[in-house]
Amino acid sequence: MDVLVQILSSGLTLGAMYAVSTIGLALVYGSLNMLNMSHGALLALGGYVCLYVMTALGLPALLAVPAAMTACGLAGLVIYQLAARPMLGSRNFETQIFIATIGIGAVLENVILRSFGPQPVAQPLNLPGAVTVGSVHIPNQNILIFAVSILMMVAVALLLNNTRMGRAIRATAQNRDAAQLMGIRIGRVYAQVLAISGALAAVSGIMISSLSGLLPNMGGDPMLKAFIICVVAGLGNVYGAAGVALALGLLEALIQYVFGVQYSFAILLLLVIAVLIWRPAGLFGRTQVVRL
Amino acid sequence: MAHALTLSNVASGYGQHLVIRDVSLEVPQGTLAALIGPNGHGKTTLLRTVSGLVPCRSGTISLHGQRIDRLRPDEIVAAGLVHVPQGDLLFPDMTVLENLRMGAYLPAAAKQERQRLEEVFTLLPKLRERRGQVASTLSGGERRMVGIGRGLMAGGSILMLDEPSLGLAPIVIDQIYAVIASLRASGRTIVIVEENATRIAEIADRLHLLDNGRFAWAGSGPELMSSPEILSAYLGG
Repeated sequence: MDVLVQILSSGLTLGAMYAVSTIGLALVYGSLNMLNMSHGALLALGGYVCLYVMTALGLPALLAVPAAMTACGLAGLVIYQLAARPMLGSRNFETQIFIATIGIGAVLENVILRSFGPQPVAQPLNLPGAVTVGSVHIPNQNILIFAVSILMMVAVALLLNNTRMGRAIRATAQNRDAAQLMGIRIGRVYAQVLAISGALAAVSGIMISSLSGLLPNMGGDPMLKAFIICVVAGLGNVYGAAGVALALGLLEALIQYVFGVQYSFAILLLLVIAVLIWRPAGLFGRTQVVRL
Repeated sequence: MAHALTLSNVASGYGQHLVIRDVSLEVPQGTLAALIGPNGHGKTTLLRTVSGLVPCRSGTISLHGQRIDRLRPDEIVAAGLVHVPQGDLLFPDMTVLENLRMGAYLPAAAKQERQRLEEVFTLLPKLRERRGQVASTLSGGERRMVGIGRGLMAGGSILMLDEPSLGLAPIVIDQIYAVIASLRASGRTIVIVEENATRIAEIADRLHLLDNGRFAWAGSGPELMSSPEILSAYLGG
């Protein structure tokens, strides 16, 4: 029983944290077929902006989180304007933007490295204390992460389903030509989606760094996992991505408990390979590939 | 008085390849113009150029005397030109009702959404029955009707339909044609791309034969039917 509580609590925390960074990636891929390889750097940027606002400026966490979301949202807009937009008409957009965002990620990581140094720093936004269930201690920070993640997912779902902007995003993701013929300005949708994805990356980066600390290259592993989740769910499928993220989080916690931490990533990758052999378009993906 | 739609010396295409070479066309207000001709000669590309999905390389396109050839597709819709594309292009994960509502996305159309929806349901009663169904589960004929209904929701002054009867069963084609006839009777300006020239000749005011990116012939329905050389050379009849 204690084991189950332990696995559930760490698994749901991991999964919820992954979900927040993954839905951003899925939104971006779904709308403009863009694999954003600078997502990892955006996670780090969010974490460091939060650190800077709380320690250097001495402001409370309730201001630091919106500040980080704004900074990363703006970074997303800049990526759209400077990289994605000029390439949109190109025949090889998917490849070009993939390579371009690797470069943007490297630049951003190095800017963080030059500004904050290579040594690990603790994330000041951290809730002390723990709740005890049976004989298991569940840190309050984990509960906070879970709650904030659910809040973010609900916010994204409400945005997509109940707002004019959300309808435009869904229409663009489902059929780009038809969306334009409805009067949707898809360039604006692309910019919005990258900004939203950036803001979600900031929240995710703060949560990840509150558990494992801040490093300029801290985003690499979480980004890889987010991509794995996207691919397993079917690229561009936002709700599928959230579900798969939670499932993979639980699975990772289980693997870590049964086999040990060092095997978790390898086993996850094996599972992904198996899923893709079985269903090449992902669990919830459509086989049809949308091209620009 | 400017025509509803005027094209002069329009050229467009994809990459290096020109599909539309030199096309001029005038569609007077309240008439039905049909673009006919063999497959692969640019009819769909011409509509996509007018609605802005394919950039216009040279020449001018005007809507009621106002240039639209440098506008984005969303601006062209806002100017009152609605394009119902070939192959439906529905939003597959949305319901029929959600698809129809997307047609009234622009603020001007959104104001009249309720009233237009009622008009569309009156014209296409099948859609009222199916309104809660997800678009990807509809039959071909139903999908086509959603496509047309969604176009009507925008309430533009000109409606462009790309092969609305393509691939449908004869009885469904009759239904689609009945809808087109009633739209025409209501005074709407319509541009329609149609493979089946003899069928569209019955209701079109003027037919334009597109051959290799240029208009090779134009005339009325009776003129087409009395031109056996045109029918046999281009239309396999």
